[in-house]
Amino acid sequence: MTAAHPIVIVGAGIAGVHAAESLRKEGYEGRIVLVDGDTQPPYDRPPLSKEYMLGESSESTIYLRHDTRFNELGVELKLGVQITSIDTEQQTASVSDGSTIQWSKLLLTTGSRLRHLQVKGSDFKGVHYLKTLSDAKNLRSRLDDVQEVAIVGSGFIGAELASSLKKLGKKVTIIERMPLPLAHILGDEMGEYFLQLHRSEGVSVMTEDSVVQFDGTSYVQAVITKKGHTIPCQAVIVGVGVIPNTLLAGEDLDVDHGYIVNEFCETSLPDVYAAGDCTMWPYQGTNIHVEHWDHAVNHGQCAAKNMMNEKSTPYSSIPYFWSDQYNSRFQYFGHTKNWKTTILRGNTVDHQFTYFYLNESGIIEAALLVNQPKNALTIRRLIKQQQPVDSALLSDSDVSLKKVNIQSNEDKVSY
Amino acid sequence: MIRQERDASLQDSGYIFIASSDSIGEGEMMEVSVGKETVLVARVDGSVYAVDGICSHAYSELVDGELEDNCLYCPLHFACFDIRNGDVLEGPADEPLSVYTVTEQKSSIWIKIER
Repeated sequence: MTAAHPIVIVGAGIAGVHAAESLRKEGYEGRIVLVDGDTQPPYDRPPLSKEYMLGESSESTIYLRHDTRFNELGVELKLGVQITSIDTEQQTASVSDGSTIQWSKLLLTTGSRLRHLQVKGSDFKGVHYLKTLSDAKNLRSRLDDVQEVAIVGSGFIGAELASSLKKLGKKVTIIERMPLPLAHILGDEMGEYFLQLHRSEGVSVMTEDSVVQFDGTSYVQAVITKKGHTIPCQAVIVGVGVIPNTLLAGEDLDVDHGYIVNEFCETSLPDVYAAGDCTMWPYQGTNIHVEHWDHAVNHGQCAAKNMMNEKSTPYSSIPYFWSDQYNSRFQYFGHTKNWKTTILRGNTVDHQFTYFYLNESGIIEAALLVNQPKNALTIRRLIKQQQPVDSALLSDSDVSLKKVNIQSNEDKVSY
Repeated sequence: MIRQERDASLQDSGYIFIASSDSIGEGEMMEVSVGKETVLVARVDGSVYAVDGICSHAYSELVDGELEDNCLYCPLHFACFDIRNGDVLEGPADEPLSVYTVTEQKSSIWIKIER
């Protein structure tokens, strides 16, 4: 496929970069323009809260590709400029430097932006967020002057930062609005597990409390909570979630919590595709939104294939994310909000277990693996096959998961 | 023990004994530490191969992954490598795995780590 006008990709995050590479891999020979407002070459975000914060990795090691890679691929990388508006009828994109790009196809990989906390004192120095490399650089450069850190929100960013900063010897306090961390995703039992994990590592967690104000002069000096606590600190990090970026062409396209795309990453308009964090996409009969690195890779590649060959490749990945906290590795496969039962395999005391989420038919909808990477690929298959499993076998860690797999296949045959 | 003594010529040429041949069956893999290196050893179509045991993309022990014929899958981000030559078959990795020279003699597996 060649076209007079380039394919324009808006956003050089994980989804955008993988889409550009995938277009070339699939044999697209036309121009590819990849635009991003960030001035840094495309980089990987997961290390920002971990290896980079701990000083174990540097800027150059988190760049997604060598600086010559985009040239080699013939991808026109435009950094430090924004796409300010999109005309879906004329198929043009206006760029913040005053230029206009005519496109043949458009891929929106616009990602997400931070949700900000609007309380008194929010503009004090020392109130940090973590999304970009420059956010991480800022925070890291201040750490020598910080002994006490308050983290607002016990989601994955908050939890990973708590772990990193504790390792660096800081006194860390997490303030969480809900009774338990992560319970809305993982349920109460795992919420309790994560709460105890933080506490056993010496991180203090204040639950069912929220920030009403930051105190300080020019720098933040304390967090004042709704319950009336004052938490002295020299830095605050706010991790209260992100909002998908759907402003571009948002009035022309179907948008919910993200651009709505079908299984081919097509938006509601021809020649306009979207992928990654900025989308809602069909998974097992409903539209879901995730903010996972792995999804961004796969979705970007899938969009590229469908841009090359229309409706050729339906998206079929099992959602997946991982998180490293303290000395544990967490891996989560699937997606579920309304599971019926849960099954614990292994035990939580020695931090070696898998927690399964099953629906009313005994089908595994999702699983959280704690320090069990050996089971990752088998569990991904179990979720993908969407067959009822024998819960007694599943809970027995002496029975290989591969047997659970075989068992359910045999069941299927004998019916 | 005896095995290590009886092949002095291999040792002299820089090979290190890592396992007896019967400890890795067809399609199986194991992780060994050789000096500072973590090495993944596997047998495919009768031959033994040895590659870097840590994924070239992000920290993850490949022995926790899966071996399907010559394809070695990482358990963290599911990159896939050719166990025979370390090549990337599927991303997200974009660097190949280091490959170590292996020899199998008299029911023993030896590898050589170039310094």
